[in-house]
Amino acid sequence: MVQNHRREDHETGGENKEKRPKFFINDHVDILIEILERLDGRSLCVAASVCRLWCTIARNDSLWEKLCFRHVSPPPSSVRSVVLALGGYKRLYTGCVRPVRSRLGRVRRASWARDEVQLSLSLFCVDYYERLGGSNSNGRLVEKSSPSSLMFLCKPVNV
Amino acid sequence: MVLYDSATLGGSCSGSSSSSSSSKPPPLQQRQQTQQDIDGLLAGAGYRVRSSELRKVAQRLERLETAMVNSPADLSQLASDTIHYNPSDLASWVDSLLSEFTQPPTCPSEFIMDPETNQTVVSDAWTTAEPHMPQVHQNISYQQQSLNNQLTVDNQLTVVTAMEEDSGIRLVHMLMTCAECVQRGDFSLATSCLEDMQGLLTRVNTVCGIGKVAGHFIDALSRRIFQGIGGGSINGGSAYENEILYHHFYEACPYLKFAHFTANQAILEAFDGHDCVHVVDFNLMHGLQWPALIQALALRPGGPPLLRLTGIGPPSPDGRDSLREIGLRLAELARSVNVRFAFRGVAASRLEDVKPWMLQVNPKESVAVNSIMQLHRLLGSDLNRNSPIETVLSWIRSLNPKIMTVVEQEANHNQPGFLDRFTEALHYYSTMFDSLEACTVQPNKALAEIYIQREIANVVSCEGSARVERHEPLSKWRTRLSGAGFRPLHLGSNAYKQASMLLTLFSAEGYSVEENDGCLTLGWHSRPLIAASAWQAVSDGTADFPA
Repeated sequence: MVQNHRREDHETGGENKEKRPKFFINDHVDILIEILERLDGRSLCVAASVCRLWCTIARNDSLWEKLCFRHVSPPPSSVRSVVLALGGYKRLYTGCVRPVRSRLGRVRRASWARDEVQLSLSLFCVDYYERLGGSNSNGRLVEKSSPSSLMFLCKPVNV
Repeated sequence: MVLYDSATLGGSCSGSSSSSSSSKPPPLQQRQQTQQDIDGLLAGAGYRVRSSELRKVAQRLERLETAMVNSPADLSQLASDTIHYNPSDLASWVDSLLSEFTQPPTCPSEFIMDPETNQTVVSDAWTTAEPHMPQVHQNISYQQQSLNNQLTVDNQLTVVTAMEEDSGIRLVHMLMTCAECVQRGDFSLATSCLEDMQGLLTRVNTVCGIGKVAGHFIDALSRRIFQGIGGGSINGGSAYENEILYHHFYEACPYLKFAHFTANQAILEAFDGHDCVHVVDFNLMHGLQWPALIQALALRPGGPPLLRLTGIGPPSPDGRDSLREIGLRLAELARSVNVRFAFRGVAASRLEDVKPWMLQVNPKESVAVNSIMQLHRLLGSDLNRNSPIETVLSWIRSLNPKIMTVVEQEANHNQPGFLDRFTEALHYYSTMFDSLEACTVQPNKALAEIYIQREIANVVSCEGSARVERHEPLSKWRTRLSGAGFRPLHLGSNAYKQASMLLTLFSAEGYSVEENDGCLTLGWHSRPLIAASAWQAVSDGTADFPA
């Protein structure tokens, strides 16, 4: 009983206002979004496992859109509708932009940044087309369940 | 004797197996026993090694270390391709790792002198590989071989000894001799040559390098000698099979991707400012070229045009309309990205059967003609009628296309002399197979090899109308197209930049893009293998048509 009292003291001590954090990031979603916007792809995926709120935010495609066009001047508005039709920015980033950037990073030339995104878009489109074929096939094109034109991006690179 | 063993073990142990050196004395005494005990100290560390094999394992670990240090930076394949069975079984694990490396010619010294019995002892792991090799080579049908035994073939030794290099050179010499006999018509000598070569193949590694290419050429030569030049089974592959092989070739190596992206860039630039465009594709296949163009047109400044695509392809058997299915897929993609799109399929088994009225070209629209490795099929000359290439080129010209993109193999496989053709093909396809070695994606690689193998068989073993793979180099195409009333268009720096980027994405360092007077060529180590060019019809009608 004495111990219980002590524990309650601890709890009341814990509820003491000086010990409670004054700032809880989840109360300020706009700041949270600003921070998450500046993360790299891998960190963003990790952030999605923190809590439900972070998961919802991290899955928002606009964050991934900013990630895709980082270091590049903002694209015309028509790009967004095309990318969303082809599968969304998260898929574009994880499937194409990230591997393209990491591979070309070794021979990075400043003028290539925009072209990297364009090339990624083209490859993304071919991949979408192949996925179309896989889902619509009546068994004829079923061999394409594993090969994809993006597979060469997934394989480890010989340095 | 025990002391001798422990001394040599101490000398040969590398740093990574330092734990084994401390365990030397007790297990070696167990070597005298017939029972093969698992070494106790290593077992404590999580590794299962038989005490009797400790010495072998230590030597192999040392060899592995030198191989890893000296190998040409090819280590990533260890992570992706090898199947490592049970790393805790240290002996076989090290063996499987070692078999990934090309060993220097020290094969004879691999035979370990067993000090106890003074006999040559070859370990179990090495001998398991040996029986596979004759089995592989004696099976003459390389097509099935590459499909069925791909897994076992990949895990085999890739040891190149001095003896093997010598055999490789001899193989090439014998191939030339055999080809010369065939050209002379001396089929009996050619047959004996073939038998010698097949015997020689058993001593050469056919998993990679000259052995593999030579195998395909030997196959093609025997097809020519024994089955005649009709080339039935090679050309009789169904259209469906061809499409699958083509698709895997597309994914295994960058040649087709380079062709598609370069042609698309040229077409995109030619269509700048036009609102009604029509693309004629001479070989639709799965239509893999067009999604990228549709997407680029969707995003071009000024909005997408109305795009019509006419795809030519072989008629599909059993009632299925494969052209229409591809057209539907492309239409769905175009709909998703808001590009007005119309598709038309023209089924024709040969390109010369296509007549311009089938394409239904509207005079108000801008036309682009796209030919990826199709024009060379028209070069077979039939003396009874006009040469098909001239017929086709003249109706292309009559369409007045804004641009005609031509991609062709950069090789001279249309020479009249068989030996010259054979020599050129040997060099060309050896280079192409070398470039395929860089590809690590299975099963694409195996099926891509079958695709190339069919080309080889057609070049070597067919004649007359059966031989459709009549590749000609860029210089000859330039002459031919200029003579038919076309002028070249330069491909531009955007195409070059895109091609360079595309190649950098491919892991192999050997590919190179070069610009050749406005045309782009993709090659392996400075040997161009495929050339892309763009043409436009000369507007006035003063060009000379060859008679």
